[in-house]
Amino acid sequence: MSAVREDQRETLAFPDSGWFEALARLMNTNRARQEQLGYIDCSVVFTITDGSADRLPRHFQVTFEEFSAVDVREVDAAAAVQADFALEASLATWRAMIESIAAGGGRPALDQSLNYLSHMGTPITLVAPDPIRSDLYYRYNQSLQEFVNASCAFDTEFPLAR
Amino acid sequence: MSVRVQDMSPLPTVANLDDEGLAQYEATYTSRFKIWAEVLERNVENIHRGSYSLHWMNTDKANWGKRAKPSSRGMTYTDINRIRGYGDVPDKAEWFNFAPRGSVREPYRHEMPVIEEYTVVDKGELWADNIITLYEEAKARQWNATRDIAWDELEALPDDLEKATCQLCTFLTEIEFAAGDFPAKWMYRIPQDFLEVKSFLATQIMDEARHQEVFRKRAIAGGGLLHAAPGFEWALTSILNAPTHTMGTFLLNLLGEGLVLSIFRSGEMIAKTHVDKEIFRRCLQDEARHVSYGVLEFKNYLDTHPNRAAAEEQMHRFCDIGEQVVLSAFVEPALIEPMAILLGGGLKKIDQGMDGVAHMWRMFIGEYLQRCKAAGFDRSARCTIPTEFPWGAAA
Repeated sequence: MSAVREDQRETLAFPDSGWFEALARLMNTNRARQEQLGYIDCSVVFTITDGSADRLPRHFQVTFEEFSAVDVREVDAAAAVQADFALEASLATWRAMIESIAAGGGRPALDQSLNYLSHMGTPITLVAPDPIRSDLYYRYNQSLQEFVNASCAFDTEFPLAR
Repeated sequence: MSVRVQDMSPLPTVANLDDEGLAQYEATYTSRFKIWAEVLERNVENIHRGSYSLHWMNTDKANWGKRAKPSSRGMTYTDINRIRGYGDVPDKAEWFNFAPRGSVREPYRHEMPVIEEYTVVDKGELWADNIITLYEEAKARQWNATRDIAWDELEALPDDLEKATCQLCTFLTEIEFAAGDFPAKWMYRIPQDFLEVKSFLATQIMDEARHQEVFRKRAIAGGGLLHAAPGFEWALTSILNAPTHTMGTFLLNLLGEGLVLSIFRSGEMIAKTHVDKEIFRRCLQDEARHVSYGVLEFKNYLDTHPNRAAAEEQMHRFCDIGEQVVLSAFVEPALIEPMAILLGGGLKKIDQGMDGVAHMWRMFIGEYLQRCKAAGFDRSARCTIPTEFPWGAAA
């Protein structure tokens, strides 16, 4: 990650497509690291269950192929279920995780990793149509963790913080 | 069974064993097998005559001329299997030697040896539709337990948490080599025409070696290995002794590794250091590949079996005992108690941790039954493992 002066750091809103697009760009510019981690082939929906102004869910789908994030888009609920799996959590949960990653300089606190938060089914819920596709979440867990860890490269604001 | 020492015959010396084995080898290649000597003689004569053969340049019966092209990932098995003559995986293997699938081999069959140990000859007993994907993924996602873990960042834990972590690692060290021995045992029984499966099993063996290595290192870096346990041993032996490849793969990859995957996920969750989190996260990725093979191999077995109802009933019968023997590992105090201490946050909070173990147990069994269902095998009514953790049930 290149050093960025504090006054030049980008600030991105969460939840928003731009936030996930920034993560995708960071992943794709850091290909050497992805090649170390190995292929990641899956479509993931990040759902913020109260992510809209009127507290309705918002879904952001990221498609990974080989070593890259090849597509990022906000999708509706019908499209979201077509993904291999979804990670669903409240805005407060996502915010705590993102802030922990930022505070740790790219490494979340022990109790803020994706697996920690999802293992018991709460506060992040893993949703998949079948066990083969839910196992993709485990097969690519390190890559997904590093995907969200990259959010430390910019500042995140939470306009809908309640 | 105990045997009085004075009644036992002495073990043969190593020298005697070597002599016996060597004599058997000599007899095999001098008396039992003759063809190799004829082939040798013929070829030596050709060399003495200075006579070229060049028969191998004849492409009449070869799948020659169409060149495989790499995809964006490089040259995968999928890419070469698209070329006519190379991707035809037989339903039943008929070649029991090392002659490569797709080569010109028929003219030489009568002079070639037969490997009698190749006994898993039905595609239905080993294939999985995701096998090539898993193999490529396994190669791409290898990691190094020596260098990829930040060992120098390992922090000392309070005594109870360190002992619990080291005991959990002792358990994982104990089970991982069995998880390597099982595919090794069967890989040797699988003919070369199922090269994709053999290749994947080789990666599974490497994965298990690395897991054994990383947990052994973690334990010894944290104080040491602690207790082995009979329950672990019986569970592992039941996997190695499974009567068929599919039955053993079910027990190891679908049930056993499914449970171990849950333990790795739990391990990541309850890890008290970033080093431990990274270890468990890396391992759970590998384990999930093995589970994925187990589910789709089993699905393929049932989907292609000529008498599905009979196959399912036989698997139920196998599971009735297999589940119970595997359960013997998962009720060992040497596993459950360190888990509870790590979940609770210390020995004084072991009771709270046991509540967490109960929650995980429910989740483990639920996932096991879902994986069975995904393979087309409804085990929910016959599962012999209690769906609820029976902690204190008799109290």
